[in-house]
Amino acid sequence: MSAILNKLAPESELADDRYGDIRRRAHQRLMQYGFPDLKTEAWKYTSLRVLEKRELSATGPSEAGQPATLPFEADVIPMANGLIDPDRLNLPAGVRLEPMAPADLINLDYGDRAGAMAWLNLARFEQAWRLVIDATLERPLVLAMTSSSDFAASVHPRLQIELAAGVEAVLIEQQADRGAGLINIVEDIALARGSKLRHVIQRRNADSIWVQRTRVTVSADADYRCHALDLGGRLVRQDLSVHLLEAGANGEIDGVAFIDSKQHVDWHTAIDHEVGHTNSRESFRIMADGTGVGVFNGRIHIQRGADDSHSDLNTANLLLSESARINIKPELEIYAEEVTASHGATIGQLEDSALFYLRTRGLPVDQAMALLKYGFAAAPLENAEPEALRDWLTAELETVL
Amino acid sequence: MLKINNLHVAIGDTEIIKGLDLEVGSGELHAIMGPNGSGKSTLGYALAGREGYEITAGSIEFEGQDLTELEPEERAAAGLFLAFQYPVEIPGVNNAYFLRSALNAQRKARGEEEIDSITFLKTVRESLNSLKMDEALLKRAVNEGFSGGEKKRNEIVQMAVLQPKLAVLDETDSGLDIDALKLVAEGINAQRNAQRSFVVITHYQRLLDYLAPDHVHVLSDGRIVESGGQELSERLEAEGYSFLEAESEA
Ligand SMILES: Nc1ncnc2c1ncn2[C@@H]1O[C@H](COP(=O)(O)OP(=O)(O)OP(=O)(O)O)[C@@H](O)[C@H]1O
Ligand SMILES: [Mg+2]
Repeated sequence: MSAILNKLAPESELADDRYGDIRRRAHQRLMQYGFPDLKTEAWKYTSLRVLEKRELSATGPSEAGQPATLPFEADVIPMANGLIDPDRLNLPAGVRLEPMAPADLINLDYGDRAGAMAWLNLARFEQAWRLVIDATLERPLVLAMTSSSDFAASVHPRLQIELAAGVEAVLIEQQADRGAGLINIVEDIALARGSKLRHVIQRRNADSIWVQRTRVTVSADADYRCHALDLGGRLVRQDLSVHLLEAGANGEIDGVAFIDSKQHVDWHTAIDHEVGHTNSRESFRIMADGTGVGVFNGRIHIQRGADDSHSDLNTANLLLSESARINIKPELEIYAEEVTASHGATIGQLEDSALFYLRTRGLPVDQAMALLKYGFAAAPLENAEPEALRDWLTAELETVL
Repeated sequence: MLKINNLHVAIGDTEIIKGLDLEVGSGELHAIMGPNGSGKSTLGYALAGREGYEITAGSIEFEGQDLTELEPEERAAAGLFLAFQYPVEIPGVNNAYFLRSALNAQRKARGEEEIDSITFLKTVRESLNSLKMDEALLKRAVNEGFSGGEKKRNEIVQMAVLQPKLAVLDETDSGLDIDALKLVAEGINAQRNAQRSFVVITHYQRLLDYLAPDHVHVLSDGRIVESGGQELSERLEAEGYSFLEAESEA
C-alpha cells in the first residue's frame, strides 16, 4: 500500500505554509503507520485499493456545478471542488468563518493506520476553516459541497464547527459530487452547553471516493441530532462519532442509506457516553439493490462511571437483490452501572406477502415495491424537523425508489 | 361473472384444489364453507393470482376474460377483490395514502381519471364511520398494530372504496365481536347490487343469517362436494362436517 501513500502524499508536495510543522508531523505518522487494509478491523469491509487505480490530477477545474436548490429558505456556504471562497460568502448574522489557527491543529491524534485518511488530511489540507455559530439561526445553514463532472483531483477539506452556549441551529451538508476525485473530509463539531444542533447529511455522489470523518462533542444539556440520507456514490466511507462529555448531553442519529449497483457505502458510527446522565439513540436503515454494498458498524460505549446513562441502537436492513450485500455490526461496550442499553439488528428482504397484498389492491409491481421500500426506509427520517426539512428528505428518498 | 371449470391448483408438488367447478352470476352471493385445510384460502389466492399457486389444469373466466392470464394488479383493475383471511401489515406505509394510490392505480389502468382527495376522503370516512372505525386508523400504517377485528374491518373499508365487481371475502367474520360482525354484514349488504357479486368464505352460520346467500357450497379436500341453499349451512351448523364422510362412504 505504500504506492498509494507516495501517490497521495508525496513529501515534496507538502505545502510549506504556516501549518508546515503540523503537516510534516502528520506526514511522518502516515508513513509510520501506513494505510489500512482489509486486516485493519475498522476497514474490514471497505478497501481503499481503488485509489491505486485512480488517476488523480493535481488540481481541480475552476468551476463546480451548482447545488440543487432547496425547497425552503436557507443560507448557503458553497464548497466547490472542496474549496470555500471566503470573498463570495454572504453569511447570516451570528455566523463567522475564519481560517483555523495552527495552535488548534497541533495536538491532534488520529491513532494508527485506521486513522490514515485523517492523518492524510492533516498533511495535505488545502483550507482549514473554523465556522462559529454565535446566535440562534432562523434559517438552516447549508454547506453545499459540489464538484464538477470533470473533477478528478484529491481534496482534503477541514472544518471545525462550533455552536456557542444555548444556540440553536440547523446545519445541512448537501453533498452532490459529480466528479471522480477523492474527497477526504475531516470535520469537528462542538456543541457548547445547552446548544442544539440538527445536523443533516444529505449525500448523492457520482464516481468520487468520499471519505468523511465527523467528530461531535456534546457539552452539558446540549442536544445533537443527526439526520442522514445517504444515496451513495462509487465509494463512501463515513465515520461519525458523538462524544457525550457532560451530564445532560443528548446524542441521536437517524440514518437511511440507499445503495445501488456499483456503489459502496460504509457508515461507522460511535456514540461515547463519557460521563453519567447522558442519553443516546440511534436508528439506521440500509437498503442495498443491484450489486450495491452496505456496511454499518454502530458502536455504543458507556464508560466506567458513566452511570445512569441510557442508550438505544437499532438497525434494520433490506437486501433488494440477490447480489447486494450488507454487513452490519452493532457493538455495545458497557462499563457503567444503572444503565439501560438496548439494541436490535435485522437484515431481511421485501416480504412476498406484502408485495402480493399491495398488488391485489391494484398497485403495479414497481409502485408496490416503491411503497414497500419507502415504508421501510422513511421511519428514521420522520424525526427530522422542521417539517419542510423532513418533507425535503423524504422527497429526495422517493426519487430513488 | 365468474366461471371456474375443473380447476386444479398446486403449491409446489402438492395439489390442493383438485377439480373445482363454480359459477357465480351477476348480483349473486355465494357462501363457501368447509373444514380447515380444505383449500378455501387457496382458492382465494389462486383467483387473486398469488405467485406459487400454480394452476395445473382447468380454467377461470371472469367476465368472459381468462383470469389466469392477468397479473394480480390487472385482476384488481378488472374488478376482483380479495379480502384476506390474514390481512398483511405494511409498516411505514400510511393507510390513507396506500388506499388512494391503489384506487388511482386501478382507475388509471381502466383509463379513468384520478380521484380528487376530497372525494376520496369523503368516501373513506363514510365507510369508516359506518363500520364504527376510528378515523385515526387512516393515519396509521396499513394494518400495523391493528387488532384482529380492526384488520378485518379495514378489508371491508378497502372493498367499499375500491368498488369491485366481485369480492372474495375469506373469513372476514372470524375474529369479529358480535357487534362488529353485524356492522361488517351490513357493510357487505350495503354494497350488494345487481352488478356486484360475492364469494363469502366462512365457518359460521351467524354471518350467513345476515347475508342470506343465494348459494351455499361445501369445499372438502379441494372439491366442491355439496351445494345448496341456506338450508345447507343450517344443516352444517347443526351436524358439522361428519356427514361428508358418511356420504362418501355410502
Ligand atoms: N405454501 C404451502 N405449501 C404447502 N402446503 C400448503 C401451503 N399453503 C397451504 N398449504 C396447504 O393447503 C391446504 C389448504 O390450505 P388453505 O389455507 O387453503 O385451507 P383453508 O380451507 O383456507 O383452511 P382454514 O379454514 O383453516 O382457513 C392445507 O392443507 C395447507 O396446509
Ligand atoms: Mg383459510
